[in-house]
Amino acid sequence: MSTNTSIIMPGERVTIVEDAAKSKRIILGPGLRRVDEKVVATKAGPLRHKEPNTFWVDNYQRRYVPARGDLIIGIVKARAGDLYRVDIGAADLASISYLAFEAATKKNRPDLNPGDLLYARVLNANADIEPELVCVNSNGKRGKLGVLQDGFFFKCSLNLGRLLLRESCPALAALTEELPYEIAVGVNGRIWVKAHSTRETVGLANAIMTLEQAGYAEIEKICGNLSGVMQA
Amino acid sequence: MPSKVKPRLSRGVLDMKFMQRTKAKVAKEDDDEQSRALYSNELNQKMLNSNSNFIIEPSYSICAGLIDGRLSFRGMNPELERLMELELAEKQGRTRPDQPKDITDQEMAEAYYANQAPAASKTMNKKFATKNEFNKRKSNDNPKSQKKPEFKKPRQDDDDDDDS
Repeated sequence: MSTNTSIIMPGERVTIVEDAAKSKRIILGPGLRRVDEKVVATKAGPLRHKEPNTFWVDNYQRRYVPARGDLIIGIVKARAGDLYRVDIGAADLASISYLAFEAATKKNRPDLNPGDLLYARVLNANADIEPELVCVNSNGKRGKLGVLQDGFFFKCSLNLGRLLLRESCPALAALTEELPYEIAVGVNGRIWVKAHSTRETVGLANAIMTLEQAGYAEIEKICGNLSGVMQA
Repeated sequence: MPSKVKPRLSRGVLDMKFMQRTKAKVAKEDDDEQSRALYSNELNQKMLNSNSNFIIEPSYSICAGLIDGRLSFRGMNPELERLMELELAEKQGRTRPDQPKDITDQEMAEAYYANQAPAASKTMNKKFATKNEFNKRKSNDNPKSQKKPEFKKPRQDDDDDDDS
């Protein structure tokens, strides 16, 4: 990922991307839109680039826009016949079939109640229909998905979720040195943490929330101080 | 006189048990044709022929290459940590060429030729040898090959192959 980022505004033409597109195929991520042969930004924020050919705008946002394949945390809201309605922080409630769990059959339904937390994958994301979730992979195995028991749940900006999930992010490794813990980070700006004691769990949550305003550059420095935050 | 209308299978035939695959295919073709007809006046030449260098990807996770967000550290959730380990192993397996080699290519080539080259060079020499040389070597290498092959009764107590 390039470090020299430029801030772009909605409606602005993004000539860097246009130039790159002359020689190779370009992947336009969220916040960029093609208008004929021009590329126009639709969101405000730093333009990010990942080698070899991906561009997107990393804007600050708290409303989640579902996209196929995302791993998210949802809260079960209600049961509606064969479906459960799940709040994933998007404009609409998502739905998950009771059959979309490991080893679930018509007889053997999963035991879900309103208020339960789900770590699930977005199967279907379309502007016109409600998003659909699954808690199994294509082999019918649970993998890492499923209900999150106990722990502590809080909401944050979508950026924080993405910040933590970068491959090179030092934050989670820095926290590992402090205490053993378990975490689920949804790209919909929801985080669930669990440590051995309540005190540790709350400290962990506070430590993560201090990263809310951090940029890629400052994060190393903040990670050095995380232990101080956790004691407080 | 060839008619323009494509021959169609009757419903009675398609309903037969062994025609199920064909039935699905025909239904799909019909569907495609219908949707083409439906949108044909909306599509213009540019939409059909333009090839763009842009691919739209609406997911941040895929764009930024984010990792799975379900993690456990220092034995908090052993089941999950096992999954993480497996995933890591798989990832490293994919990027194995980047790992340092125990034996360099140079050493490998030397060792290979030390073991294999006699055989290989012999084969190539054979290709370029004259017929005379070939016959000479043949008689030198195994003079017994001149003998007429005949069936030998195998010994019952021994499964070692004995040439003599």
